[in-house]
Amino acid sequence: MTRLRYLGQRLLLAIPVVLFGITITFVVVRLGPLDPVTAILGPNAPPEQAARVRRSLGLTQPLWRQYLEYVARLLTFDLPRSWVVSPGTPALELVGLYAPRTIWLGFWSVLVALVVGVPLGFYAGLHPNTGGDYLASVGGIVWRAMPNFWLAIVVVSVLSQSPRLLWGFEWTTWLVHTPKVVTPPDLSVLARPSRLLTAPAETWPRVLAAIKMTAPAAIVLGSSSMGNEIRVARTAVLETVGADYVDAARAKGLPERRVVWKHVFRNALVPLVPIVTGEAFLLLGGSVLVETVFAINGLGQLFFRAAVQADLPLLGALMYVFVLVLVATNLLQDLLYTLVDPRVGFDRRSR
Amino acid sequence: MTRTAPDRPAPDGPAPATSPDADPSLGRRLRETPRPALLWAVVGLLLLAPEVGALLHAGVELLAVPLRLLPVHATGVLGALDRATASVPTLLSRSTVPNGGHWDGQRWVGTFAGLEPKQAWLLRVGLVYAYAFAVLGWLWSGYRRFRRHYRRADWTPRDDALDRLRRHRWGQFGLVVVAAVVVMAVFAPALGPTTVERNVLHPYEHELTYWDADAGQTRTVLVGDANLESQSRNTPENVGPWAYDDFGRFHPFGTTPNGKDLFTFVATGARVSLSVAGTAVVGAALLALALSLLTAYYRGLADLLVVFTSDAVQALPLLVLLILVLTVFQGSRLAEFYDGAVLLVGVFVLAQWPFLWRAIRGPALRVADAGWVDAARAYDQRPRAIMRRHMAPYVVGYLFVYGSMSLGGIVLAVAGLSFLGLGIDAPTPEWGRLIVAGQPYVATRSWHVSLLPGLVITLVVTGFNALGDGVRDAIDPQSAGGDAAEATMAGGGNA
Repeated sequence: MTRLRYLGQRLLLAIPVVLFGITITFVVVRLGPLDPVTAILGPNAPPEQAARVRRSLGLTQPLWRQYLEYVARLLTFDLPRSWVVSPGTPALELVGLYAPRTIWLGFWSVLVALVVGVPLGFYAGLHPNTGGDYLASVGGIVWRAMPNFWLAIVVVSVLSQSPRLLWGFEWTTWLVHTPKVVTPPDLSVLARPSRLLTAPAETWPRVLAAIKMTAPAAIVLGSSSMGNEIRVARTAVLETVGADYVDAARAKGLPERRVVWKHVFRNALVPLVPIVTGEAFLLLGGSVLVETVFAINGLGQLFFRAAVQADLPLLGALMYVFVLVLVATNLLQDLLYTLVDPRVGFDRRSR
Repeated sequence: MTRTAPDRPAPDGPAPATSPDADPSLGRRLRETPRPALLWAVVGLLLLAPEVGALLHAGVELLAVPLRLLPVHATGVLGALDRATASVPTLLSRSTVPNGGHWDGQRWVGTFAGLEPKQAWLLRVGLVYAYAFAVLGWLWSGYRRFRRHYRRADWTPRDDALDRLRRHRWGQFGLVVVAAVVVMAVFAPALGPTTVERNVLHPYEHELTYWDADAGQTRTVLVGDANLESQSRNTPENVGPWAYDDFGRFHPFGTTPNGKDLFTFVATGARVSLSVAGTAVVGAALLALALSLLTAYYRGLADLLVVFTSDAVQALPLLVLLILVLTVFQGSRLAEFYDGAVLLVGVFVLAQWPFLWRAIRGPALRVADAGWVDAARAYDQRPRAIMRRHMAPYVVGYLFVYGSMSLGGIVLAVAGLSFLGLGIDAPTPEWGRLIVAGQPYVATRSWHVSLLPGLVITLVVTGFNALGDGVRDAIDPQSAGGDAAEATMAGGGNA
């Protein structure tokens, strides 16, 4: 089983990557100029108290032991407790509290980008050098070049004053009533998914409201991935359309629809795989900015607050979670590769 | 600059194996047909003349940085030099074409030739851009003359690449945008209707005279007080784009919520953004180039090590890492160098090289297999020479493509960080900070504060991407663009 071996290799290779991420965080946080004791107590704390806190944090131990302990705790998911943002709460609990909104936002932004970007790119690739192609390609590039947070600010401003700016269109009352534009979506309805079936009349409007409240942020957050998808899908289609096996399929008399769907699209999907999984990176970085503008208190905002308030253990723990997520998406990417492209694992060991 | 030959771009690409004595040397070729080179040199001197003062002044300022570290006695000499160079007239400076005058009831006083401040400013901007594009044209003609009259080879692959770029409209659009922004950054002090020092940093140490229409006479006011009454905060005082404020000052982009001139801020912000992004990309590109040559030439363990490291670095979310590092180092000595730019550049270099290295790995591996590299090895050339002369020229083009794209990404990331209040310290002008400042006023009459800088960023990033596209199509017409490496870089951690 070459493919299984290939996946196993990738999994093994992921371990040093995670360790590297942990180590970088440790080095920055512990060897940087920020003193954890001052961060907790403030600069004017009495020396006896500072010494006590220093001992209780284990900062008096040799650095290598601190490092080993830190790594061991992270690897066993015994994440440290927050100091400042929410004193005493274990980081894992905070992650559980804040993650759902980020996942919700990420899900919709990936979906929006995929549903809009890939078909546009395929269209542009199938009709190269037409007006539609130029519109989609240039639109994608400009869309990608726009700063995320700026786009977010513009969208928020326009939606908050939608009747005045959008010729009477009322965003807040459109479909479902959502009084505010800048507010976290209410996801409590999703906590008990069974109710979606048992009490649909009551729950579905709330799901719709949650989607509607996330939609602007999701579109903004997905903007650059969408631009990427248009470009990559276009290139991929252009390259496969010119391939010999497509000519062969046409020559043996296959109908055009079948050629396009079975031979062009299937192969054009391969270069799209890293773009889609690469969105995880874009989403994690972008979520800090977009969540700040839209006041969606998810992981990005939690990280930013931890950074501003110098909550070192929480920063380290979140960084670890982020690295884990990214490494997991990389593995997912390899898995997708083996599914979409049967050649993987046979001729190209590594990308 | 009397000898022009050494400044010419040298023909590169894999060097031919013929012996160098077969053709006359460059010096001899220059002596045989001196006319084109002389003409070019004369035009160059003419172009240099109006900016001699500025160049000397910049030279003295550069010199001053290391000299200040020496004991005190050097400062007197420096001051004298500074005054001497400042007195050399410079055509394109604000003092030659001033726009900061006032109305005295009958006419404009203090502006260039009594023009309205708007026209005086437009004239100066027009002159600066005309000059800059003339210099670019001069460089291009220098290359053309070299290619036609003096180059040893009749044809190199690079000629074809340049010809392809000349037919590539999208790439040319990028080139023009990039050139325009670079000129804006280089000439920022001359382009703004006012100066950063006078308008942004120390407004209460400068005065300005204006025409008080009610009293029918001129008055004097502190710049800071005048700023307070030209604030763009969706109040009646708002000064929109292309308008005068109550003190007869012209604001091409309007004013900020603090009443400062937006265009001056944006122009200086271009300087900050481009120098940070440019230094970071050059640093990362050099690192990536060196590593790609080493790994492609030696492979084996070296390759494996770099693969490991780059994988690990790429798994870190860039923007999140930047936030982490910048917060931890806030207020430390390291964060104070150049308002935090040094720290920022450092993180970008360390985080960005793996993307560039990945992107040029393919071309580097391909060229390492090329026949001419084997040949050079057979001729017993040293590895360093092989890498530099026979491999690097082939890879550098790709590096330029991806470097241009990641430059756009870094511009986005820097703006995003200052949006969060990190990165470049206030009050140094930075684009992202303007966007925050204008955040409450986007859908009001003070819309310009946030929208204009955002549009500038979009244009700049699009320009760098378009330039990258153009160069890629020029050096590698087979590729159609749009791959994963490009996508991650243009996003720049996605600010």
